[in-house]
Amino acid sequence: MQTPTVELDRIISDIWAAMLGLTLEAHHDAPVFPTDMRVATGVVQITGDFEGAVTIQLSEQKATEVAALMFAMEPEEIGDEEVSDAVGELANMAGGNVKSTLAGSCQLSLPSVTSGRDYHVSVPGTVVRDRIGMTCQGQLVVISMLAREQR
Amino acid sequence: MKILVVDDSKAMRAIVKRALSGLDRVAGATIMEAVDGKEALGVVQAESPDLVLSDWNMPEMTGIELLQALNDAGITPVFGFVTSESTPEMHELAKTHGARFLVSKPFTPASLDDALAGAL
Repeated sequence: MQTPTVELDRIISDIWAAMLGLTLEAHHDAPVFPTDMRVATGVVQITGDFEGAVTIQLSEQKATEVAALMFAMEPEEIGDEEVSDAVGELANMAGGNVKSTLAGSCQLSLPSVTSGRDYHVSVPGTVVRDRIGMTCQGQLVVISMLAREQR
Repeated sequence: MKILVVDDSKAMRAIVKRALSGLDRVAGATIMEAVDGKEALGVVQAESPDLVLSDWNMPEMTGIELLQALNDAGITPVFGFVTSESTPEMHELAKTHGARFLVSKPFTPASLDDALAGAL
């Protein structure tokens, strides 16, 4: 199946606006985090007629702020569990919205979340088809779509 | 009125509960939570909620499996999905099993209220 054209920037902007009340702006530099920054990544995989994954990445600091908004708590009250839950749900919403644009029959996995410094996320057998950087209050948010390599 | 919110994400349950708390349509309702369909089935049997708002994709028991289990048990609260996935096939499957609406994430309180207006 041809990799479809998906408006990742619109999908992530809609999620940010509706769920967080925040505006995302275009990021004009390469969507790369500093190697010394702790970054949280949420991943959902899509299987079926389209095979691939959707990831969302943001700094742990921004992830904590986002989790605080989702839980209506202060950032100081947010722990690792809340950050993981919030980032996973952001990935789930992004993946679900991507899936809704795909033709054919597809299934969405449950989200998984990881966090750390200077790491690379890969889903075996897939390549990055699109990677969009946006900024939220000056901090980078990256959404990527991975698709299984054509044989 | 009793409302059961079913989602494996604690953050999403908090967002749905917060949205409900601002809606005049369900003012004063008691809002309960469950982390998946399996837990929700037990809560429905014990508490008989008037409205169930459920995610679709969850571990243990999915939202559509929960709805099927409720139908099999002859328990028929007003049931709606709040889910990130929203394909025509899912709308049809939800409707076939008696769901009253499917609200797509991300949602706003207004879109949730619109869905409830047609179901309550």
